[in-house]
Amino acid sequence: MKLARPPKRAAPETIVALIDVVFFLLVFFLLVGRMDATAPFDVTPPIAFEGTDMPGGGATLAVSADGQLALDGTERTRDGVIEMLGERLAADPGLRIRINAHAGAALNTVLPLAAEIEGMGAQDVVLVVTPGAP
Amino acid sequence: MQITRTKRHGVVVSLVAMVDVLMIMLVFFMVTSTYLDLDMIPVAETGEDTSPQTATDAEATRPIMLRIGADGRSYLGGRAVSVAGLSEQLSDIVRHNPAVEVLVLPSGQADVQALVSVMDSITQSGVTRMRIIRLEARP
Repeated sequence: MKLARPPKRAAPETIVALIDVVFFLLVFFLLVGRMDATAPFDVTPPIAFEGTDMPGGGATLAVSADGQLALDGTERTRDGVIEMLGERLAADPGLRIRINAHAGAALNTVLPLAAEIEGMGAQDVVLVVTPGAP
Repeated sequence: MQITRTKRHGVVVSLVAMVDVLMIMLVFFMVTSTYLDLDMIPVAETGEDTSPQTATDAEATRPIMLRIGADGRSYLGGRAVSVAGLSEQLSDIVRHNPAVEVLVLPSGQADVQALVSVMDSITQSGVTRMRIIRLEARP
């Protein structure tokens, strides 16, 4: 009598390990990443050695090398920026305003703007910089 | 004769759909995230004005004027100084007068990097009082 061997079943692949890895990666990117509005133009902040860590939050005013302005990722005119910031400062006087100016932007664009924002009652105005090598 | 019912297997939930969703979310975050290492420098402080009140104080803490030219070079007392030289000169001044105030007068044509480099040098030299002044055209 010939006995037929039962067909071998392929071992089920465990995808639990894969899910674990994918989940860890997902949580990593969620924790490390910070959703932030980017400027519609190129902005390379100046290099500084004495900067301090920048906390999140607040309004970001981007200034391009040729003087274009963008507030929270949307390009605006100077008057538009001042008007929007005025409204936001009226609602929240402690609003942090981050000036993300290109390293090559002229000071006659950036400084009057910073002075005007300060004059509107902003208490926390910071200049965004790239940390230099220690 | 007793007929036994066949045992019902529980419904098997497929994990494949969940893995798909996780993968899509993972790829989304990987593609949309940009990693920027940024610092900040405060440019506006609403602290109390600590300007000297009396003539003696004013004499003791006479401010130092530092000019930034349109080419980005710094001028201390009318003489051009390098970024490293500026830090050294200011350190000497701070050693004799720790309460010295530095007034930075940048040219409007200078760029932000020039101002930030000068602010860096001033901070590294130990100066604790610094102001940026700006000339405005008279209307």
